Amino acid sequence: MGRTRDATGTAAARRGVSRRIVLRSVFTVGVTAGTAAALGPVLAGDPDEPVPASGKARGTEPERFAETYRGREIRGAVTVVVPAGGRGDAVRAAGAADAVPHLDVRVDGRPLHIMRRADGSYVSDVNHYESFPTLLATARAAVDELGSAQLAAAPPRHGT
Amino acid sequence: MYDRKNQRNLTRTEKRRLVGAILELKRSGRYDDFVLLHREFYVSDGEDRPRAAHMTPSFFPWHRQYLLEFEKALRAVDPAVSVPYWDWTSDNTPGASLWAEDLLGGNGRPGDRQVMTGPFAYATGGWTINDGVSEQPFLTRNFGRPSSPVTLPGKDDVARALKDPVYDAEPWNSVSGTGFRNRIEGWGIRGSRGVSNHNQVHRWVGGSMSGAGSPNDPVFWFHHAFIDLLWVRWQKAHPRSGYRPGARTGGSGGDRERVFGLDEPMPPFGVAPSALLDHTRLYRYV
Ligand SMILES: [Cu+2]
Repeated sequence: MGRTRDATGTAAARRGVSRRIVLRSVFTVGVTAGTAAALGPVLAGDPDEPVPASGKARGTEPERFAETYRGREIRGAVTVVVPAGGRGDAVRAAGAADAVPHLDVRVDGRPLHIMRRADGSYVSDVNHYESFPTLLATARAAVDELGSAQLAAAPPRHGT
Repeated sequence: MYDRKNQRNLTRTEKRRLVGAILELKRSGRYDDFVLLHREFYVSDGEDRPRAAHMTPSFFPWHRQYLLEFEKALRAVDPAVSVPYWDWTSDNTPGASLWAEDLLGGNGRPGDRQVMTGPFAYATGGWTINDGVSEQPFLTRNFGRPSSPVTLPGKDDVARALKDPVYDAEPWNSVSGTGFRNRIEGWGIRGSRGVSNHNQVHRWVGGSMSGAGSPNDPVFWFHHAFIDLLWVRWQKAHPRSGYRPGARTGGSGGDRERVFGLDEPMPPFGVAPSALLDHTRLYRYV
């Protein structure tokens, strides 16, 4: 079982990471009003809504927060990797998934792994069987479920 | 061919042998391999990756094979045991025999939600959590999640899902609004329905069961055996309906490219859904 897993699951996890690294080196990284276009459907999108042509038209900004919730420090930010010099439209046309938004959410400094659902909501490693409309709601729900616990400092043994 | 029993009908001896086999898998390290496998194959439908286990038509066959692998490992330890099922529409209270000292132990305590009773309590020394989401080394439960209460699904919720004559529907993901699969997997759909059935049970148990390390709680297997039984019941209720989607065609919509059709082998098992539709040569539910 361990062998088959390494051949597929771990490789898939690695692919996600290396893909992001490749994009970072080929394209510039930016968080501007323009990059929000790729993020529009992520934050406020209806599943049936087409990907907007321009972030300005939607007026959405990447989510960013920092607060103390039930005595825990929660922070979150989204950065979106976008191509430099007018290639953004190509990436946007390919869909938000290809723009690789990087979700960085922390509880007391420890990273909370978060995934996007098709409807733009979020699922975290703490709440794996329900989703939340915003990163803030996801982080708060994780604190509720964690009780007094801290997140694990390291990712699972084979998941890196 | 062997039987999978309702956990409430297990004899004292059957419980003791089942618990013993689970603890032996844990001791050997094999149990944690199963936990990690589930974690690694959890792919969400906002990601552009193949999706075999969740938010996908192959939710049922993938977990059937996953349970079979686990059960094979259990039966290598003790050939007399099998995975029992937990019918949470009937045994729906914290006082159910499932949660007694001789089977799974009870709810977590207030504060750190540590399970303090039964064979999987940390203090017994046999159940240390190595691959959890939190750094806690012990099993946690939080029945009904008092901070934002959750109930167990009822018979009506299951009946509604079983009534749907279509196995699954476009876009073949967590927002599929019709189809037996997502009605049982139970993703909430904005403006239409809330979390239900399979997902709701994970939330009700809470603690370890609500997160990425859910198989760390042995109730995971009992829960998924019942999910597997619901698939059997749906097949019986709709003999003319079958697994969907079938072969890829140009007109396939939604997430068709990322999901597994009837004859497409699912990782990591290399088994296609079509090979898992009939469980009767392997085990039966009693
Ligand atoms: Cu499950």
